[in-house]
Amino acid sequence: MSDTAQAAPDAAAQNALVPVTVLTGFLGAGKTTLLNHILTAQHGRKYAVVVNEFGELGVDNDLVVDADEEVFEMNNGCICCTVRGDLIRILGNLMKRRAKFDGIIVETTGLADPAPVAQTFFVDEDVRGRTRLDAVVTVVDAYNVIQTLEESPEAVNQIAFADVIILNKTDLVDEAGLEAIEKRIRSINAVARLHRARRGDVKLSDVLDQGGFDLQRALEHAPHFLEDTSHSHEADVTSLSYEVEEPLDAAKFQAWIGAVLQEQGADILRAKGILNYAGEDQRFAFQAVHMMADGGFIGPWKEGEPRASRLVFIGRNLNRPQLRRGFESCRAK
Amino acid sequence: MSDTVNDAMGPTLLERRGAIRQLEGHVTGCAIARDSQQVAFVTAEGDVVLADRADWGRGDAWTVQTVHDGAILAVAPDAAPTGFLTGGDDNTLRRMAADGSVSDLVRGRRWIEHVTTWCDDKGKGGVIAFASGRQVELRDAGGHGTLKVLEHPSTVSGIVFDAKGKRIAASHYNGASMWFVQAKVDTVRPLEWKGSHIGIAIHPGGEALVTSMQESELHGWRLSDGHNMRMSGYPSKVQSMAFTRNGKWLVTSGADTIVMWPFFGGGPMGKPPAEAGGIPGVMCTRVACHPVHDIVAAGFADGSVLMADTGAQRILPVCMGGGEAVSALAFSPDGCALAFGTEDGRASVVDLSAR
Repeated sequence: MSDTAQAAPDAAAQNALVPVTVLTGFLGAGKTTLLNHILTAQHGRKYAVVVNEFGELGVDNDLVVDADEEVFEMNNGCICCTVRGDLIRILGNLMKRRAKFDGIIVETTGLADPAPVAQTFFVDEDVRGRTRLDAVVTVVDAYNVIQTLEESPEAVNQIAFADVIILNKTDLVDEAGLEAIEKRIRSINAVARLHRARRGDVKLSDVLDQGGFDLQRALEHAPHFLEDTSHSHEADVTSLSYEVEEPLDAAKFQAWIGAVLQEQGADILRAKGILNYAGEDQRFAFQAVHMMADGGFIGPWKEGEPRASRLVFIGRNLNRPQLRRGFESCRAK
Repeated sequence: MSDTVNDAMGPTLLERRGAIRQLEGHVTGCAIARDSQQVAFVTAEGDVVLADRADWGRGDAWTVQTVHDGAILAVAPDAAPTGFLTGGDDNTLRRMAADGSVSDLVRGRRWIEHVTTWCDDKGKGGVIAFASGRQVELRDAGGHGTLKVLEHPSTVSGIVFDAKGKRIAASHYNGASMWFVQAKVDTVRPLEWKGSHIGIAIHPGGEALVTSMQESELHGWRLSDGHNMRMSGYPSKVQSMAFTRNGKWLVTSGADTIVMWPFFGGGPMGKPPAEAGGIPGVMCTRVACHPVHDIVAAGFADGSVLMADTGAQRILPVCMGGGEAVSALAFSPDGCALAFGTEDGRASVVDLSAR
């Protein structure tokens, strides 16, 4: 018996988490085309793919699992906490042979709400212990998106949840049209990285290994966002962003954000932040999906980087000044 | 943690009367044939490892064979005295005879995640059950004749026969379903409770059906009147549970001690669970109950295995930790062997027979 074997250090354990990419998008937006593009590209990596229907995937190199989307409500007091039970089961079984692949891609059906998929990564201890949600990638059909957004709250949610948005079929729309579409998308989700594509022909580095919730990187891609204070009427999904330059009191922030999520979690689709806690050398990354929140230290600030805390909410019926006052009240004394 | 226990004890039971074989891949299950003459370990690499009774002390004598094209998700002793059934994520159910020969019973379209069998004391009346997606299929002991296909409202997460083989129960979302095995017309007895039920066990006297839930608690139904029971307080999900042979205790994983709920004297309602030893800060991941004596075995997240006496609360270390979690654990039907496997591919058999 090897009594001398030691537990792996924490950092190594973090790296050992298998990245999961969630692929959403409305019917006909080009999810399957993008998926085929990812899987057939010469990247030397292997993916396990969880799909909802077999058939159109032309791959035999990768592991493809057929799933039924089975969503259930958790009995944990969160009214909006729904989880993909099938995903817990499938990821659990896939992780028993993690050496066989480098990452997992989960494709959702066109009408799916991304919340249950995302919340699965917060709720289940085994999923959390072995995988990490790398990014929610939403494929948008440029030709139809404006109309789809008018007609379908699911489509709005898919954009709101995205870390990466692939604006597909851009050859069918002129430049002015594309700019209008991007503006509309930005009004919903100002922090997602947005890439144009024609037939799902995106760079893999734009879709995979996104490191999910790195807000600073997101903000680099949308520098105009922080200054943009215009927003449409309040029932629509919008993004609100806040910045506090002084260090935060960790306990105060936890208490405040906990109360905010408890009271307004149904309306907050996602929240993300990079926080500068007083007395800490490391950046604290915070993320939430509805009422489920999570956070951890993600390494030191870069040299010369301003140590400001940034927080973003994407949701409905958000009260901008109230949230600002709340966030600012978390400053350390 | 485990080191301190080790220092206090002499050689473990595994060192004195057992053998280890290092396998490639996660051990996803183990089973022992009904005649107690052979142990089978199955892995996420699709391998089946057979250990004949004569070789329980010699790991290098065990045979390894790749049986599934993918992970093996379920293993059970065959309904016959010898051999095993395995289900995998290659959507097949296969039979492995004692001599290692393999035959196909099912080639389906979904993962076969659960397999269980039943036969009476004389080895007669055998039934095979397996779950694939929302369906549970019952087959005769031969394995090729379908008796019935039972449909459920969502994916089945566990199946169990009652002790007499008269009923089969399946857990799924929002409760469990019970069916009569021999009924001419299939009528479900729905046992409803909102939430995701992820495992199932039945009292050997047929008094209660218990499920494990996503919210790290157990739910039970008293079968006489459908009365609901709730058993909570776990720090993590209960992956493994088993009733003791006489039905007095329901033994479970999910905490850093072996948790035992009393099913006597009015329990488990309103009664706290007993704790039969454990390892501080290390989660119990698998439990098994001895078929003859009042003894339970438990495997832990660091690879440790111990046995405990349900009455006197004595603890006997079987194997010290220092690796990954115990993911498979079983006693032989005659109680003469304990087999266990871990996520990092260690497979072990300990000979418990009198010498």
